[in-house]
Amino acid sequence: MEKQTKGFVVVASRNSNFYSYAINLIQSIKDYYPEALITLCTEERFLDGREEEADNVIFCDSHYRAKLWGMANSPYDITMYVDADMECEHEDIMTVWDEMKDYDMVFHELTKDREEYYAIREFKYNGRVEKYSLCGGVCLYRSSNPLVMEFMDEWDDLYRRQFSGAFKPEGFDSQQWKQDLKHFDQTTLWWLVNKVEKYKDLKIGFFEDDIRWNYFTQYGYNKLPSKSGKPPILRHYSGCLQKDVPLV
Amino acid sequence: MARTWLDNAFWETPKKQILNAISEEIDGNKTKRQVLKMQKINEDGTENEMFAEAVAFLGEDRINESSKKRLEKKQSEADVEKQKKLEHERAKKLEKLFEYKLETFEIAEIKESKNRLLKSKLRRSKSIPEVNLYAILLVQEAIEDGKTD
Repeated sequence: MEKQTKGFVVVASRNSNFYSYAINLIQSIKDYYPEALITLCTEERFLDGREEEADNVIFCDSHYRAKLWGMANSPYDITMYVDADMECEHEDIMTVWDEMKDYDMVFHELTKDREEYYAIREFKYNGRVEKYSLCGGVCLYRSSNPLVMEFMDEWDDLYRRQFSGAFKPEGFDSQQWKQDLKHFDQTTLWWLVNKVEKYKDLKIGFFEDDIRWNYFTQYGYNKLPSKSGKPPILRHYSGCLQKDVPLV
Repeated sequence: MARTWLDNAFWETPKKQILNAISEEIDGNKTKRQVLKMQKINEDGTENEMFAEAVAFLGEDRINESSKKRLEKKQSEADVEKQKKLEHERAKKLEKLFEYKLETFEIAEIKESKNRLLKSKLRRSKSIPEVNLYAILLVQEAIEDGKTD
């Protein structure tokens, strides 16, 4: 049996700061895991030589959620997608592939007890309160599985249509949709996982000790501990960076 | 209608001149509770009868004990709060440090440096002075290699 390729995908689009964040993330992963294979998905205009830090570079468009396209175009059999505004700070990054187990996709969980740190977790749908439970900040997935890749393709395509206004399913509260849900790729993720029949066959799980794999800096405000008591592997700086203000 | 006092009364001051206590009066099937902050001595210099009544009912030892427990609880709450504030500040500092590191990595000589070890040390730095130290080493290296203007 041919050995499965395993690698990371990091995406930097729209804003040049994300290119700098992505380079830092790639270097930080390699600090702890020098053999890691990493694909940088970015825009050609951002290249400044530092893209050589990645093992592979692919080009995406300038959409601010080009991450979904990047995820759908992974060259690996098993892929760990990581948001660019994260940093690796622990050697356990090397164990990421063990988290795949027999799942098709593995996420960080949006939980009730961490609710205060999220922009939105609950929303109205068909008169009921529904919840986002999967966080797309990191995602480990079996990219050799055609259904998984169909899912990723559709996530990208549907999100673009949702963002442009071409896709708005019935059942959502109009005001909330406009204000909080329409621009959010988590909404599309929720829709695909919960409302599209063919994807119900996908086995979706969470990282064991999942807080370590996507430790939002806001978790640190209250020093939220991991289950094992071990420190974070990937820290997520999404809430504190001035992404639109050029770094220099 | 007899008045009783709840046993969680406590001294407001170490000199025990002010007592904080809850009185309870039962009138038929109604219970009336009142939180009272009582001075030992009234403004006119006379003894506060209500104060004396509460102390007599509860006993000074019991009030001492509940005052001590309350103080310990307050102290422990304050410690937790202080710790939380400290953690919050630490996390905020970490966020600022991250942004500072990113800016440092944009310095041309550092951006172009292939010195993985120093760059890694810079990234793992725990403070701004430590970042600066590795930044200086990287820039110095570029100057020595003639890779800077």
